[in-house]
Amino acid sequence: MSYLNVPRLTFSGDFISDVSTVNNDPQHYNNNTFKKSFQEFGTGSNNGWWNPEGGATFGFQDCYVQQITGEDGNSSSDPLLDSIIGQIVCGAEGRNSGKMVDLDPQQQMVSQLWGVTFRILTAKNELLLEGKIEPTGFRDLQMRQQTGARVNGQPLGGTWTSVLEDVVWGDLAAQSPFLMSLKSKTQENRLSINLNGFGYYYAHATDGRFSLGRILGSLGPWFSGKPKFFPPARRLYGILSNNNNVFFAASNFIFDKENARLSIDFGSSFPVSDSIGTIALNTELFLAVSKNAIKAAPNATPYMVSPDDTIFIGKIEYQNGTGWINSTSGIVDFNNLSDEVLSALKENQLLLLGASSKTGQFVVIAREAVDGIVLRADEFVQRLDTNQTNEINFYASQYGLPLSNHAIYITLEPPTPMTPKLQNTPPICDVPGNNYPADGLTFDAEITTDVNGVGVLKLTGNSIDSPRGYLDGQIYTLDYDLAGVNTDSASGSVMPQNFIAIHLRDYFEIPETPVWADIQPTMVQFANLYPIMSKFFIDFSDPNALIAKKELLIFAFDRDINDPIYMPVTRDLSETKRLTILKWLRNPIIEGEGVVLTQQKEKGEINLIQEDTLTETIPLTNNQLRLRDAVRAKNGADFNIPEITNLFEF
Amino acid sequence: MLKISPQFVNAIVTAERLEELFPLLQNAIELEHATIPPYLTALFSFKPNTENAIRKVIHSIVIEEMLHMTIAANILNALGGKPDISNPNFVPDYPTHLPMGIGEGLIVGIEKYSPELVKKVFMEIEEPENPLDLKINLQAKALPTYRTIGEFYMALQQKIKEIAPEKLPGDPGRQVTSDFFDPNLLYPILTKDDAISAINIIIEQGEGTTTSPIDEEGEIAHYYRFQELYVGKELIKDPTAPHGYSFSGPEIPFDKNNVQPIFPNTKSNMLSEGSEGRRQVDIFNSTYSNLLNGLHRTFNGEPDYLDNTIGLMFDLRLTSQKLAEMPFPGKEGYTIGPSYEFVKVMTETVIV
Repeated sequence: MSYLNVPRLTFSGDFISDVSTVNNDPQHYNNNTFKKSFQEFGTGSNNGWWNPEGGATFGFQDCYVQQITGEDGNSSSDPLLDSIIGQIVCGAEGRNSGKMVDLDPQQQMVSQLWGVTFRILTAKNELLLEGKIEPTGFRDLQMRQQTGARVNGQPLGGTWTSVLEDVVWGDLAAQSPFLMSLKSKTQENRLSINLNGFGYYYAHATDGRFSLGRILGSLGPWFSGKPKFFPPARRLYGILSNNNNVFFAASNFIFDKENARLSIDFGSSFPVSDSIGTIALNTELFLAVSKNAIKAAPNATPYMVSPDDTIFIGKIEYQNGTGWINSTSGIVDFNNLSDEVLSALKENQLLLLGASSKTGQFVVIAREAVDGIVLRADEFVQRLDTNQTNEINFYASQYGLPLSNHAIYITLEPPTPMTPKLQNTPPICDVPGNNYPADGLTFDAEITTDVNGVGVLKLTGNSIDSPRGYLDGQIYTLDYDLAGVNTDSASGSVMPQNFIAIHLRDYFEIPETPVWADIQPTMVQFANLYPIMSKFFIDFSDPNALIAKKELLIFAFDRDINDPIYMPVTRDLSETKRLTILKWLRNPIIEGEGVVLTQQKEKGEINLIQEDTLTETIPLTNNQLRLRDAVRAKNGADFNIPEITNLFEF
Repeated sequence: MLKISPQFVNAIVTAERLEELFPLLQNAIELEHATIPPYLTALFSFKPNTENAIRKVIHSIVIEEMLHMTIAANILNALGGKPDISNPNFVPDYPTHLPMGIGEGLIVGIEKYSPELVKKVFMEIEEPENPLDLKINLQAKALPTYRTIGEFYMALQQKIKEIAPEKLPGDPGRQVTSDFFDPNLLYPILTKDDAISAINIIIEQGEGTTTSPIDEEGEIAHYYRFQELYVGKELIKDPTAPHGYSFSGPEIPFDKNNVQPIFPNTKSNMLSEGSEGRRQVDIFNSTYSNLLNGLHRTFNGEPDYLDNTIGLMFDLRLTSQKLAEMPFPGKEGYTIGPSYEFVKVMTETVIV
């Protein structure tokens, strides 16, 4: 069960994400080569990109409940039918709204939400529902804007799927039949939540929407044993490319045979003509079941089908403008499916079709995964400390049913080489590679799914000594595949679909009596990367300034990691380094040589050199090239995205 | 000295039950709070990393105003009342007179730092009683045209002494303490004596004792700390001076070019809707309002919630300083000020 199941509500509005951008550039992490100009606004590594003074705030703004869909599959947006309609969706009361942070400058494609509280209130500020969003990164990054990066500077959208935990139902919730129905249906006092973000503003545009984006959200029941960070759904992948961009790249849908219902979420994928989410398509869209297996990869030449090749389900009654998408969050339910469709959907691919000018022919805009096979890892973003073991659950399914007793292969991507200073633009310093040392991680290369199609991977972080030198820890990427199943050529649009992003933090031993030199590299880096702190609060590179504010700093460095004000906000520091900072703040000694750190660093340098020699000749894999390009696109480094006015018109 | 309408002191004097003091303590909370936005605005109007000596002085005072607000709320809770913080009426519409103030009295606004502001507003707020005026006869029949805030607190002290039981009736679980304050200054108010000595802290930190600019903890009272800024010299011990202190210490330098030209008493509606500046002011106001919501919870049975609000105070500071760098559209030469307006977390806009 998930946000796509019923009872479900949709909400929409804006989100604010005041992310900081000096830390988007690996070269900026090197304290020895850092320059003041890296903190200033401007594109390129010599500057701090588009929001150098960001504070990482994430929150909901002007979001409202729009529509409910009951257990009978019928939707309503009439406040007279249920008082939940039109109510306010907002963040925490009396505390920070939450944070949005990257995993690492070398893995920016799984940006996570931390410490975000979700509430629904009446207009009089009375609580209806409150819960905490379990931290998660976005996935299914895809192209949304037909106008490219014009106006806002970022044409991609992404999806955060998670669960609301510790749900509190307000006294007034009892007056909403919908909320009572949701409460009775869901399990473990959790709810499934989905947030599709797009239209995010890098640009200081005249509409004043800098650092705002649009959000299409939905909330539904969650069931024990089901994934938290994606819906247990079937997947539809876009196969029509337009100037190398694929629209409708990834959409989730569930097929409820018992209730003869299909629910599909286009909130993650529906193309919009501008940065505030206006739909302007001239093509009629339909859902159908394919009679024949289609394995086509994305291509600019349309893949055409005739009515004889398909079993028709229905027309997608979308509406141009902003009303329909904001009301439905792009979720469409088809109820009362015919027996023919019910039977066909059990073992055939769903298609998204566009009407074409050729009589009796339809363009296949998107097709379901080949053979209906979907494999996804739930906890796909990992922050690991030395000797920490985490479990990752994999869910394998075919046409929505569990694939049991099936092998899953897990592979560590090959090491990527260090990029020498002179190959960087502009050349500031060497940038270390990733995925080494290989023995930094311990995991089984093969796991098997159980009767529920679930396989569990135990992942352990081992001791590594600064393999990246000036960047804490290492970034590893694990790829995963089902045995005997090739990666679907249409899966993963901007990024590959099946990967686990890991930040393994440096091994670090807490000194008996830490001195400033033990924490100086960390604190100077912090001062460099977060000018908002050094400019408006205190200079983290100055031990006396830290001492003057030590009570406040101890408070922040001692918070639970789920507290929005936990420091460091990026949550990327080894636990032992954080504890060392705390220890120093409680007994700040400025003089003295940081013996431990010096030794660890020296060891680290040796590692780095050896690994560099090892990896220099290995070319990047396809996935690694895509990650590199995606990071560039995310940073707005090389946008060259044309405007598309006739999408799907053939 | 801060003059207040005599009715408030009279209301204390004539009170017969603790309940009658509740609205007056609520007024005290509002008064203590009302000084915070003006002080913070001056504090955050300096350009980054400048005027650290002046900042330190204002910072030390504003922190004590927060302490006084907390003490007043603790006393109200101790007497069995309920502080009301999350309320549009709680927030002054600057520029305005302070709560309980008399109409023609001091007008306080949201402005950038200047020695004139310190002299004309901040020192006025904090000015101690004239020693002669301290001999107040609270039973006096003839009503004076004004009272002072010192008299107000002393009357409160006196009344609590008179009518409160030794052990105060409020739920001790509602008392707020914090690691950020010295436990000798912020402690749970459980008894009559606790309340009386806590009021002394408010009076002395603000005004000093009746014979010295230094309070019982050996700290310089607010008035004289502000005076240091206006005079431009530190107050130090001076045996030759009448009260043993004079402004003959090291110079406190000030360069007016280090102050951001924020527009006085900025209001959100001075900025056009949909502009980036307006959005930032709106963010400031919603953070401020949310902070008051968090404090309301803190003072109404969830004292540990105070820790959660710290992050919002920090955000207010950052946003205030960011605003001070943003040119004010249509007001040449000015940047945007923090407007400290109470907004509901969300508007009552109905969906499209």
